[in-house]
Amino acid sequence: MGLSELLSTFGQNYLDGLLATWSMTAVSFVLVMVLSVLVTVARVSPFAPLRAVGDLYVQVFRNIPGVALLIIIAYALPYLRVVLDWRTCVISATVLMATAFGSENFMSGINTIGVGQVEAARSLGLSFGQVLRRVVIPQALRSTVLPMTNLLIAVMLTTALGSQVPLSPPELTGVVDYVNSRATGGVLAFLVSAAGYLVTAFVISLVGNRIDRKVRILR
Amino acid sequence: MQSATEKGTPVIELRHVEKHFGDLHVLRDVNLAVGRGEVLVVVGPSGSGKSTMCRTINRLETIDSGEILIEGEPLPQEGRELARMRAELGMVFQQFNLFAHMTVLDNVTLGPRDVLGVPREEAERQAMELLERVGVAEQAHKVPAQLSGGQQQRAAIARSLAMRPKAMMFDEPTSALDPEMINEVLDVMVELAREGMTMVVVTHEMSFARRVADRVVFMADGQIVEEGSPDEFFDHPRSQRARDFLDSIRGH
Amino acid sequence: MKTRPPKPQTMRDALYEAPGPRTRKRIALGTAVSAVLVLLGAAAVVWQFYVTGQLSARYWSFFLQWTTWRFLLQGLLGTVQVAATAGVIALVLGLLLMLGRTSGVRPLAAACRVVTDFFRGVPSLLLIYFFFLVVPQYGVKMPSFWMLTLPVALAASGVLAEVFRAGVNAVPRGQVEAAKSIGLSPARTMFKIVLPQAVRYVIPSLIAQLVVVVKDTTVAYVVSYPDLMQNARVLITRYDALVSMYLVVAVVYILINYAINRASVYVAHRTGVKIIR
Repeated sequence: MGLSELLSTFGQNYLDGLLATWSMTAVSFVLVMVLSVLVTVARVSPFAPLRAVGDLYVQVFRNIPGVALLIIIAYALPYLRVVLDWRTCVISATVLMATAFGSENFMSGINTIGVGQVEAARSLGLSFGQVLRRVVIPQALRSTVLPMTNLLIAVMLTTALGSQVPLSPPELTGVVDYVNSRATGGVLAFLVSAAGYLVTAFVISLVGNRIDRKVRILR
Repeated sequence: MQSATEKGTPVIELRHVEKHFGDLHVLRDVNLAVGRGEVLVVVGPSGSGKSTMCRTINRLETIDSGEILIEGEPLPQEGRELARMRAELGMVFQQFNLFAHMTVLDNVTLGPRDVLGVPREEAERQAMELLERVGVAEQAHKVPAQLSGGQQQRAAIARSLAMRPKAMMFDEPTSALDPEMINEVLDVMVELAREGMTMVVVTHEMSFARRVADRVVFMADGQIVEEGSPDEFFDHPRSQRARDFLDSIRGH
Repeated sequence: MKTRPPKPQTMRDALYEAPGPRTRKRIALGTAVSAVLVLLGAAAVVWQFYVTGQLSARYWSFFLQWTTWRFLLQGLLGTVQVAATAGVIALVLGLLLMLGRTSGVRPLAAACRVVTDFFRGVPSLLLIYFFFLVVPQYGVKMPSFWMLTLPVALAASGVLAEVFRAGVNAVPRGQVEAAKSIGLSPARTMFKIVLPQAVRYVIPSLIAQLVVVVKDTTVAYVVSYPDLMQNARVLITRYDALVSMYLVVAVVYILINYAINRASVYVAHRTGVKIIR
């Protein structure tokens, strides 16, 4: 099967797959950012139980294999009367795992700030909230641009978990399975999907690097 | 010599201040009063507790017991009251601690705008005046990392001055500087002292102490061992420890 | 005498100053409230298990039998075999890719860069489908072990190549200059001077990457290779106990990966190396 034949037969499937991957990636990443902030707030809060839960969350979800988590969400939760549609299952698994890494990124962003910066802000008479708003958060955010760019790419790759449940339409990885169950796509069937991921990742890191260069803090 | 009692209520007063870091007794019964317009220079070997004492004055370090009074009022322990008190006390750090993500101008206007509520244009006008005064006006729109150490420290002094503080604390302001930059910072401090700013200066710069100090306090092992006018202290130290210290820094 | 306070371990603690009496009261209150909320949350989860009958003994009692664990351990052995083999292949391949990329030979460097970015930029699941669905179309018959191990290894090799490169970049420039000045060839400089130091820098990161390898092996069921996950699926059918079995297996994976991460941090701490990610 040549490339033109492959694309004329399955082009629409690849396009749908790419859009499915993109949309799950976008939705997941937005949720990851929101949840990462919440988890990080819990972890830096002065309340020991919240810190403990936040730390436990991160340890659990950065160490659980994606497939295991997806299977639990998709097949075990219904036994506990929590039934989600397939797409939501994939997004939930992706978000839960990526949030652990997102929170780690925020934590290391906070850790790169010198204690002296906070002391100087305090000495000016800034309140705790002002110290956070004007010094801690802006500095932490600027130093997390690159790690978060990498996380966005990782989120996209994680949505390939969608190939393990009957999504319709299937996302990019699932399309390879779809095509091969109907024709002998050969290596091209695989490379078309791979190209979808690679080009997207390339664009993401290009944009991420540009933003980073703009906001990076000279030290 | 201006003593605190002659000048009414001291701006800063420490009474029987004690502090431990774990097993270390870092401040032992420290008593000190700084009068209005007085320049107090604190000297002593490293690890003598002088930096810690300086930092207790605006509660960057807490104390275990004793009292710290600012214009006769006890130093608040938290909240808005503490922030308000800190806004009235300038602090200059060894490592400058300019906010790394802001321009020099924004560093200087942050306090006035966010704490005192000065409108932006007014704050920037005052900031430029101050930067002019300390000689870094040309660097106003650069970020701290683009400045030399001496320029950063002068900008940091301008940042504190922008709050129109009642007193300024300097915690080893020249210790992190290359030798050729020390004087540009000391010159700014001398100027400030001449204008009547109340200052507590922790430093190893003995020539500065002799030239500018109204009073020199010598600390060792967390205690104030002796205090007096610069001439008294440098020419006729009373304690053996002070004599040893002065000998060591003179390179005997 | 040292009077500087012990520097706070993390900014997490430096964010807060020593609390005054009012703040201390608020923290105590917040701690109590959050403790109650956490307990309530945990209770709600347990309650949901209870009302859906998932706490019933028949879902858990077979974990008391040795045969259950023996079968799971057999699966775990399969997981370890795949992870270890894939790890070794990835290590060699990653090193070769890095050496090629930094060789200075233009076409080789470009090729290695493309390969590295390719393996880093596609999901490991896609690579597994390649070996599972595409390779057989060309008449190559592969045992399921290799259908799983190769894609896992390839995915990891791209990442490891970058880890090695970061390690090489972390070697101080003076080392290379000194080697050149005593007349070592570029190749000798790399192998005698740079690489030994670079490897030392990256050992903690290499250990940490093992977590990714272990995670990637869990799709073994796609190719029907008997790993921990696949054996768990067999037990699920035997005991009709899906929830408990998947939870236990997930915990096993989490503990293994947690241990690997701890080992990485421990080694980094012992050798005074920062973990390069």
